[in-house]
Amino acid sequence: MNAIGSQIKRPGRWDEPFDETISDEDVFRLKQLDPFRQMDPDAFSRAVPLEGILKNDCRLLDLEKGDIIVREGDYGNSAFLILDGNAIVSLVSLPAEVLGRKESRRLGWLESIAKLWKNSPHRESRDYAVQLEELSYVGAREDEQGTRIFLHDIPRVIPQGRSVELHPGEIFGEISALTRTPRSATVVAGSKMLLLEIRWQGFRDLLNRQPTLRKHVETLYRENSLRSHLREIELLKYLTKEDIEALAEETVFESYGDFRWNKDFKSISRKDISERILSEPVIAAEGDYVNGLLLIRNGFARLSREHGDGHQTIAYLGKGEVYGLRELVANSASEEQQPYMLSLRALGYVDILRIPTPVFERLVLPKIPAEKMPPVRTRTADSKQRRAASRGKSMDAGLMEFLVENRFINGTMGMMIDLNRCTRCDDCVRACAATHNNNPRFVRQGKKHDNWMIANACMHCLDPVCMIGCPTGAIHRDSHNGLVVINDKTCIGCGTCSASCPYTNIQMVEISDRKGKPFTDGYGKPIVKATKCDLCSEHAGGPACQRACPHDALLRVDLSTASTVTSITTRT
Amino acid sequence: MKPPRTSPNFTFSRRRLKYAMIAIISVAVIGLLVWLQNRNLRHSTFFTGYLLMGSILFLTAFNLRKKIPVLPAFGSATMWMQLHIYVGLSTFAVFGFHIAWRIPNGMFEGLLAFLYLAVALSGVYGLYATRIMPRRLAALKEEVIYERIPALQRQLATSAKRLVLEACESTDVLARFYVNKLATFFERPRSLAYMINPSGRRRKQLLDEITDLNRYLGEQQRPVGAQLSEMVQQKDDLDYHRVVQGRLKLWLFVHIGMTYSLLIISIIHGIMAHAFAGGLR
Repeated sequence: MNAIGSQIKRPGRWDEPFDETISDEDVFRLKQLDPFRQMDPDAFSRAVPLEGILKNDCRLLDLEKGDIIVREGDYGNSAFLILDGNAIVSLVSLPAEVLGRKESRRLGWLESIAKLWKNSPHRESRDYAVQLEELSYVGAREDEQGTRIFLHDIPRVIPQGRSVELHPGEIFGEISALTRTPRSATVVAGSKMLLLEIRWQGFRDLLNRQPTLRKHVETLYRENSLRSHLREIELLKYLTKEDIEALAEETVFESYGDFRWNKDFKSISRKDISERILSEPVIAAEGDYVNGLLLIRNGFARLSREHGDGHQTIAYLGKGEVYGLRELVANSASEEQQPYMLSLRALGYVDILRIPTPVFERLVLPKIPAEKMPPVRTRTADSKQRRAASRGKSMDAGLMEFLVENRFINGTMGMMIDLNRCTRCDDCVRACAATHNNNPRFVRQGKKHDNWMIANACMHCLDPVCMIGCPTGAIHRDSHNGLVVINDKTCIGCGTCSASCPYTNIQMVEISDRKGKPFTDGYGKPIVKATKCDLCSEHAGGPACQRACPHDALLRVDLSTASTVTSITTRT
Repeated sequence: MKPPRTSPNFTFSRRRLKYAMIAIISVAVIGLLVWLQNRNLRHSTFFTGYLLMGSILFLTAFNLRKKIPVLPAFGSATMWMQLHIYVGLSTFAVFGFHIAWRIPNGMFEGLLAFLYLAVALSGVYGLYATRIMPRRLAALKEEVIYERIPALQRQLATSAKRLVLEACESTDVLARFYVNKLATFFERPRSLAYMINPSGRRRKQLLDEITDLNRYLGEQQRPVGAQLSEMVQQKDDLDYHRVVQGRLKLWLFVHIGMTYSLLIISIIHGIMAHAFAGGLR
């Protein structure tokens, strides 16, 4: 055996360029255009030069008039710069049909029963083939970059006077790309266009190196989103409008980790747990000076404590949760200054809003009612005091690690099965099949910890990475209940969502007609569709799997909230 | 979105107590009504008979509920299961009232009583099995779907054979051991005794023997021995899954199968009872 091992090229930032076809001539041309012409190349590091960003983090899009660029409600990792032509931003929400989505509706009980009778004996049968062409508002065309959906008639869909036109040199989609929030409006090409799509990593570097661009984006974020984000935080609800305004001016926003965490998740999860924890970006380290209150704006973070030679997970924090409050309150009440008691690390990616300590002490602390304050506990608190503070039901440490390590904490409707109660009768699978034309939409298998199994069923994630890159908008959040659903009619079977899902909960299936004959395209290739659990959103009773379990074994659980999980696992 | 069914105040023990109290009170009320009817020199058997028939029809309807999973008005399967358990247990008392706590002497009544007891006792066994066996399965390392077990067993047998064949180039110790001990374990179904009372005896025996074998193996073959040990454990787990999951399915098959026989005989019994009592009252 070779003790030295195989030598390979060290993995680099740009091993996978966004668009391999972008040439040096393209980069040269781009550098002659605004805003890159005004950028100082020397402001960029040698490791991440401007040319490198343009060559590896960008792609050029040739668009025709009417092409949909982004849809309202979509998730995405990119910002867009208009190089030529103009784009139209719709100021009104467009109908679901235009966006490739399906109208959410509930079946009546007669319809529900009738559906049972109409269930096909054949696997994945449909009443239709691919009908994109038949949708009246939109059409589809193929180009080198895949399928592009376009509006047949822009004025018919976006009324006159209800849109804004964007011109060359303008940037859009940047806030959504940086904060991992849904796109706030639909944008279509208003003419033949040349567009530069800049992926998140490259855009972040441009911001870091170009103060003017950064200031522009920060101003936009402060004006449009930050105030509403701050108001959403439970702790800040005691503040007046003026306080929030002042707070917004001084809040710092930071991003940690990688938006594309799902890409590397499977390979990283094979690493040793200690190694994994150490590779997670540190937001606040145990023992560090408390320089502010940290608000989780998006994503997840792990709270850990040094334990022996490793780090033990204590809790996980999600959107809207805060860290550092206990320390800040203790420090304000005593001369003895506490550092951060635990480490906060980014799981995947995290957006943080940091309220600096002096700002917190000036604007927030005086407004919080005494009963809402966390109990002050010094570092030297005796064991009795510690026990008193941690009384109540808490999650088993092993289960906590299991949920965090497998990123199940992303799921708002994870399928949790208590194997101590599950009789393996498969009533849940049969019920699922009966409500989905005889095709079960989950597999009663999955990773297990102790007596708990998280089955392979769509978890309707907080960070739905499956929704990024769907060319037709078929996979989307239902506007009424927030569930992630797929419009079967507009799904073109590209498999992007299935490949992106880190939990392998989206299946690509070959479809057939009502007689079981497979649908094929002109070349004899089968037509495939993406399928997954829709939580029986059409049925009034909620998820059939949960309702069909006679032994209280299967539950759809919000795994992103530790208290919900604990209430389930501590049932007696 | 619907929140999880479990509310913060929910506990299984509280639910058990609630349903048990309702069942006990119901049985007491039925007993009182039977006593009052008998005291007034009226036949309580029609009252208890109809009650029993109604209960059995209700208990059978649980299966129908499973076939229609979409209607919220039908209630959740958990609620049905709880009602099924407590109504089912209560029928023991109603059955006792109906036969006036005597052993039926006619052949038809005897058959009917036997069928009722078989269904009811299989239900009690089911209650026990569904509470105990899942825990045993959960304690195993892997979770497997029953229908996939034969394929997994075949796969494991092939892998074990290939592993031994690859290792036997340098020594025949493992090959001999495989042929004499492991081949039947991997390739043949387990004995009837194991099916009746699955135990880890064979597993322990084989693992001990593989450990003993180590001293005859060279450096290169020892990891193969360790892999074989792992495979023995996997095969034993699969066998255990097959037996226990099979049992969980078999009792239900017997319970439901006999229920239909009970229903048919009960209907005939009802018609005959009315016929011999001078028609419908």
